[in-house]
Amino acid sequence: MKPILEVENLKMYYSTKLGYVKAVDGISFVLNEGESLGLVGESGCGKTTTSMAIMRLLAENAEILSGHIYFKGKDLLKLNNEEMNKVRWAGISMIFQAAMNSLNPVYKVGDQIIEAIITHEPNVTFEEARERVVNLYKLVGLDPKRIDNYPHEYSGGMKQRAIIAMSLSCNPDMIIADEPTTALDVIVQDMILKEMSRIQKKLNMSMIYISHDIAVIAEVAEKIGIMYAGKLVELSDSVTIFKRPAHPYTIGLMSSFPSVKGEKKELVTIPGEPPNLLNAPDSCRFAPRCPFATKECLEKEPPYEEIEPNHFIACFHPQNLRKQVNEYAKG
Amino acid sequence: MPKVEMANATDVVLKVENLKKFFPVRKGVFSRAKSFLHAVDDISFEIKRGEVLALVGESGCGKTTTGKTLVKLYEPTGGKIKFLDRDVTDLRSDVDKKWFHSKSQMIFQDPFESLNPRKTIFDIVSEPMNIQNKGNLKYREEKTMEILKRVGISPPNAFLWRYPHELSGGQRQRVAIARALVMNPEFVVADEPTSMLDVSIRTQVMKLMMDLISDMNMSFLYITHDFAVARYMSDYISVMYLGKMVEYGKTEEIIQNPLHPYTKALISSVPVPDPEFKRKSIQIKGGIGKAIDPLPRCRFYDRCLLAMDICAKKEPPLLDVGSGHKVACFLYDKKEK
Repeated sequence: MKPILEVENLKMYYSTKLGYVKAVDGISFVLNEGESLGLVGESGCGKTTTSMAIMRLLAENAEILSGHIYFKGKDLLKLNNEEMNKVRWAGISMIFQAAMNSLNPVYKVGDQIIEAIITHEPNVTFEEARERVVNLYKLVGLDPKRIDNYPHEYSGGMKQRAIIAMSLSCNPDMIIADEPTTALDVIVQDMILKEMSRIQKKLNMSMIYISHDIAVIAEVAEKIGIMYAGKLVELSDSVTIFKRPAHPYTIGLMSSFPSVKGEKKELVTIPGEPPNLLNAPDSCRFAPRCPFATKECLEKEPPYEEIEPNHFIACFHPQNLRKQVNEYAKG
Repeated sequence: MPKVEMANATDVVLKVENLKKFFPVRKGVFSRAKSFLHAVDDISFEIKRGEVLALVGESGCGKTTTGKTLVKLYEPTGGKIKFLDRDVTDLRSDVDKKWFHSKSQMIFQDPFESLNPRKTIFDIVSEPMNIQNKGNLKYREEKTMEILKRVGISPPNAFLWRYPHELSGGQRQRVAIARALVMNPEFVVADEPTSMLDVSIRTQVMKLMMDLISDMNMSFLYITHDFAVARYMSDYISVMYLGKMVEYGKTEEIIQNPLHPYTKALISSVPVPDPEFKRKSIQIKGGIGKAIDPLPRCRFYDRCLLAMDICAKKEPPLLDVGSGHKVACFLYDKKEK
């Protein structure tokens, strides 16, 4: 498998009057062609900031202190604005959080997608673009007759489908979907997730799904990265993450999630709250909430290492943890 | 309507009979309402002391309207609400209203909107005691500290004079819970109290509520769209669809053995946190509509793959199919089949 996106030691801080907010603090991961990666974490853990850094759509006070983002071998952080514009939409496109509310209410939905196509590919004529929209509508399961409707005539699920169609309009190699189903009802969410997985496999596209919901990620992603307070704390294939999690935060997340399937297990709570990232200390950020933290964890930062093939973790005690953790999860 | 069987009368805290809440739909500002949105349409149930009933359904199914009507934030259009053996459907006198509102409370979904940003935590939590003229200032302060400590805001005296914006989402929701519980209510409506919270905080708040319910022996109506949360929080589940109660039963019974085609579709659509589990979802047609002047037929008729002729002619009644499991569907109605 060929890597399509390589993020290396990316550090992105927001500079404020009070100091640096360490929103993304030294994360690294590789996404291969045709692969789907899920980034999971709580609000403020840096998952959206990571994707905004990849798209280079950062706020003015954001500073990238170090790191590289290689997309097909090119470092995106070294491109000028014009070159970057060519990567956006045609190379990497993004489905933003609550994107279905971002459709312009006074333009027809189809015209908005045509506009996106013509802006990025000036050689395409209006008729060709319209033809492409018809095909995209069929691909995402929308009736092509609806092209000339306005957004208010669409239901929530239909708007989300239109947004997916728009993200596919310039044949990108990779899509970042930030909470693509969060505002939708379960039945619609289920249909949209199925549709996205199907399209991803059909077009052999690379995907990054961002969500706070591990159940959603479990259904769509082959690889899962768990983020906590600006750090990537664990990364592996989805089965390993769910069956043999090694980081205490991952274990906590897994056992605090209610499910409708299987036995009704006692839910485990993670004590405390995520830390403030303003001038965050260089120690393990989960240590204050971690039941297994030692003195070392409060003083030094655990390195992000591969503890077994394709299983990365940032924790000082992953090996001897496993036994304790099983007991902890059992109660 | 099927009769709700009478249990030990003193045990029943809340009894709802044929509750209806319609909203007028006006075409223009000055025109008379010609049609009505049937947000809650003829539902009946009861909640016993210490029992949690989860009201589950998609957005727009009338679950929040039901909750708000039960704590009298809306006046019901029809039906009866009996609370502690008293008819509270029409509360006229101030004495009656005060009595009712001291015993029934609501916890809202969004703790970022439900707390007044200009008031301190003490003002917010002690306000019910103010309104009810309970105790002097010292008593109110002690009581506020006690309940804040109970909901996990500690040390409470460090928080009394802070404002909501200084608190995290989880802490705010704890304050909202403290405000609802400070008068020791008998009945509480909680409208999606954890849906705005982060995963690790959500479990904390769920556990806190479970502890409080059993400690204070309250009756709870827990409104949620999430079956997984309902499974952990409730003793009974009631599924709503477009203003109608389509299924009711013991929580595990509904989760393991749903009967109504809508409940089946809903439960089968819930994502499962297990990548090896191959979930098969049951398909239904279309999306949820609006119950504006609905026809006298099954509200789910348009979307049901198992619909029969009778479903278009009558509304299915909510019938007991054994051991308290009730379903409103002609598939299970032996007389009609």
